[in-house]
Amino acid sequence: MAKSRRSRRPRTTLLILLLASITIITLDARGGLRSLTSGIRSVAADSFAPVRSGVNGIIEPVGSFLAGSVHYGAVRQQNQKLQQQIRQLQTAGSKSQQTEQSLQQLSALLHLPYIGNLQTVPAEVTDYESSNFAATIDIGVGRDDVVQLNMPVVSGGGPLGEQLVGQVVQANHHTATVRLITDGASSVGSLYGVPGAFADILGAGSGKPLSADLVPVNTVVPVGEVFVTSGLNGAVFPPSIPIARVTSTKTGVSASEESVTLQPLADLTNLRYVSVVLWDPSKS
Amino acid sequence: MTPRDAAKVILVVFSFLVVQQTVMLDIRIGGVHPDIMVLLPMAAGLVGGPGRGATMGFGSGLVADCLLPTPFGLSAFVGTLIGYAVGLATVAVDRSSWWLPTLAAVVSSLVYVVVYALLGSILGQPQMIHVALANTAILVAVFNAVLAVPAVRLVAWALPKVSTEGMPTSTSGLLR
Repeated sequence: MAKSRRSRRPRTTLLILLLASITIITLDARGGLRSLTSGIRSVAADSFAPVRSGVNGIIEPVGSFLAGSVHYGAVRQQNQKLQQQIRQLQTAGSKSQQTEQSLQQLSALLHLPYIGNLQTVPAEVTDYESSNFAATIDIGVGRDDVVQLNMPVVSGGGPLGEQLVGQVVQANHHTATVRLITDGASSVGSLYGVPGAFADILGAGSGKPLSADLVPVNTVVPVGEVFVTSGLNGAVFPPSIPIARVTSTKTGVSASEESVTLQPLADLTNLRYVSVVLWDPSKS
Repeated sequence: MTPRDAAKVILVVFSFLVVQQTVMLDIRIGGVHPDIMVLLPMAAGLVGGPGRGATMGFGSGLVADCLLPTPFGLSAFVGTLIGYAVGLATVAVDRSSWWLPTLAAVVSSLVYVVVYALLGSILGQPQMIHVALANTAILVAVFNAVLAVPAVRLVAWALPKVSTEGMPTSTSGLLR
């Protein structure tokens, strides 16, 4: 009798814990517990950030030293390549400055919001993809730095200026989580080619190319064309931020849409610093 | 459980979390990183049986969920199942076998990754099933296989001793 009660106990524990998990998942998904779980995540992320940065501060120099001593030749080659890139970027930078000035003047004349006129908060990328199942990054700024949920995040320094990286999906006090445009849940309204041509750029997971939805069949989309954010009324992103470049197009036999694949312009696998655009869609 | 035992369990869970969030996130092979958090319910199931495995899976899963962008409670749910299943599956096995922790780590890691992705996609995150699932499962399993024995020793140190009545006892010292 006593033995049977003892053998039943783990099953009762299992049932209780599974029910508790299902309740938490359901309440979080339906919004009932969203503010509570969001608060817990916020407190956990803020409390864990110093621990993470402390441990990283200890292990990173050791890792860099070991990697540097093993790959000395490769590091030297990379250094030369980077110096060459800096010279090329300096030349491109002076050209793009002139283009940006012209664009700013035109945007001001047409009363269009322009990313160059919007305030941004620079942020260091503190962690990259904490889960294998979501393409996200953690950044070292949060609500205390005026960063709010859904704000766009860009990376700077490219020949086309700022490039779209993603969107803030969790804003804590001192840190925030950004969903990258490659994440399977990401969808960005974009413009391309002829005026009025609209497409949705969808993520397919980390490391996978993006795809464009809503491109009508037989539309000519040249390889290399850059898609930019649409900035339509109430849009989540301000207009004209370059998102991705077309790498291939295909028309299926009985397809109703062009199959367009794109490569993000920002190097999402090697982000060190980004900028959060202080953009409120409700005021756009 | 005495406060001393509770402190030991918290210390082990926190250590795993710190290693996962720092060292493991920096190890990236083909865009995938190891996930050692699944070792906790696996080891607890192996050391303490299904009940303790489930409890450890729920607790460590909830802690991990606080720092993950995936649905809150999902790691707790899958961790509970893994801990219970490992405990139940190894009840009739000689737990002193040297290969048992490694085998349990491989199987539980593979199951964990697949079930996690499947449940996530059912829970409104369809993109979770479109990740490189095979690569993720294999990498997580290989890393956890290597770390299985130290993980089991740590969890055995942290968990209070249980009655081994009806369970094959350890003679080699792995679970002592």
